[in-house]
Amino acid sequence: MNLGLIQRALREMAPVTLLCAALLSAISGLLAYALPQVQARFAQRSFIPPGLQQLRNVMLGVDSSTGGIADIAFSIGWSHPVVLILLCTQAIFVCTRVPAGEIERGTIDILMGLPVSRWQLFLSETVAWLISGLFVLAAIYLGSFVGAMFINPEYRPSWGKLAMVLVNLGFVYALVSTLGLLAGTISDRRGRAVLFVLVIAVGSLLLNYLQLIWDPAKHVSFLSFLHYYRPIGMLQRGEWPWRDLAILGSVTLCAWTAAGVMLSKRPLTTL
Amino acid sequence: MRGGNRLKGSLPRIQPIISPNHSHRHGYPLSGLMGVIETNNLTYRYGPRRGVDAVSLNIREGSLYGFLGPNGAGKTTTIRVLLGFLHAREGTAKILGLDCWSQSAQIKRDVGYVPGDLRLWPWLDGRAAVKMVASVRDLNLDRKARELADLFELDLGVKVRRMSKGMRQKLGLILAMAHEPKLLILDEPSSGLDPLMQDRLLDELRSVARQGRTVFFSSHTLSEVERLCERLAIIRHGKIVFDGELAALRARAGHEITLRWKSGSPDTLSHALPAGVRIVSRDGPDILLHASANVVGLLPWLSTLPIDDLALGRPDLESLFREFYQDQPATTAQGSAT
Repeated sequence: MNLGLIQRALREMAPVTLLCAALLSAISGLLAYALPQVQARFAQRSFIPPGLQQLRNVMLGVDSSTGGIADIAFSIGWSHPVVLILLCTQAIFVCTRVPAGEIERGTIDILMGLPVSRWQLFLSETVAWLISGLFVLAAIYLGSFVGAMFINPEYRPSWGKLAMVLVNLGFVYALVSTLGLLAGTISDRRGRAVLFVLVIAVGSLLLNYLQLIWDPAKHVSFLSFLHYYRPIGMLQRGEWPWRDLAILGSVTLCAWTAAGVMLSKRPLTTL
Repeated sequence: MRGGNRLKGSLPRIQPIISPNHSHRHGYPLSGLMGVIETNNLTYRYGPRRGVDAVSLNIREGSLYGFLGPNGAGKTTTIRVLLGFLHAREGTAKILGLDCWSQSAQIKRDVGYVPGDLRLWPWLDGRAAVKMVASVRDLNLDRKARELADLFELDLGVKVRRMSKGMRQKLGLILAMAHEPKLLILDEPSSGLDPLMQDRLLDELRSVARQGRTVFFSSHTLSEVERLCERLAIIRHGKIVFDGELAALRARAGHEITLRWKSGSPDTLSHALPAGVRIVSRDGPDILLHASANVVGLLPWLSTLPIDDLALGRPDLESLFREFYQDQPATTAQGSAT
């Protein structure tokens, strides 16, 4: 690792990370404030229109006909497409910078002219990414916490269980990020690297929603990384999703290692 | 015809035969003992496309070494292999005795590099760029960077995105030189600099060499290298076609003999030329000859010719350099120093 490189990376990541963190915080705060109250109204009526129930299931990726107000509301909030898309956007932006972004911008020559090994560069980028990732994940949690301060206390979730969801979401974020790292080390063009990860991320989102309304999609739903992210189960039962975490973690580790090996061996020059 | 226009007027462009000893004109020793850059049969291919082919160089400590070649000849590829950006599968490349691929990070502690097409991070200003490089190198570069900024008249407070190409080039030079490296690798460093700044850069590089440090200077214009370097290599189509001292290149150039005939055109001259002499161009009574033979031995023959005027000199190196670029098959010509 190299402190100078970490500082340089953080500086480059800062605008997008701060913007995404602010948006994520605001949106998750808004959802934490609004969704429990909407959910409570439905609960009072003891009736949810079938279309809306279906939509809710699609949002959660599981059948949610039973469950507490807070559990369902916060599950929807934490798997809301806008939240996931913003999180993936930050991950993709941050992780496709080196080397694809540097090659495309033409700064790779000056970067590689510095006395750092390729693994030092990769580890420094990884540390900067982890710091920025923790920041945006914390922003989501903080947003939810602040939003929940303005609602009826009985609609608030268990903060410990929500921390479990945060960890699971962190694993999803790590997977998308390391796919970005891998794509960024394979490609000389950042656009191509972004497109590659974007296709996987959007594909996963769609597959996760499709599998509840279209049977053939169920057979391949395991390919979606959201298949391994089920907030409702954690909020209802308070159990760690070890299997999901292991699968997400293993794929993340493989992608990260492959990215590092690729970076250590490939030509690194301006086009 | 090459050189045809030179003969008009009073034979202006022929250089004097007696010239200062180029090798020592900057006041530093020709070379030290240690090989700072050593490559042996270095070969790199971009897939099926040639990059460099069997490049062997030995550049000694304290030298100002020019690396010349036309665009696409392999200069930048050689530099990229030397800096560990590319991994050559054939041959070896060492800097300061260390392997250019596996020990690249260690090497670059003692190397300053200015890329040919210099791009910097647009959100940095000069000071932040110096600070960033200092932080990566774990050195304090403020004082030297300020000195260099004064020398190149660069305001370090300007953001890179607002800098002209020349300003960016100056900043690149500052970043490469501020840690006072043992080896400077400069890929066409004067591009974008005005003539005054080019002079200052060359003076600074001479000063660097006087301190026993080494400068590897890539360019596609001979005049620039001629002003600075005592040794040079010429690369063409990925192969080294000349490697030696500038004096050896001059000697290789032979002599130009410019004659002004007394009257008429010397139609019969071509039949009476001694061995090693050829006609380069004719322009009315003026005729330009090239002699690869000893010019002193030609004086008796010259004295028999009906001429009004005679000038002897070296051809300018640029024309020789063009021959290397255009005509010569890519086989290595060794200068006297190798």
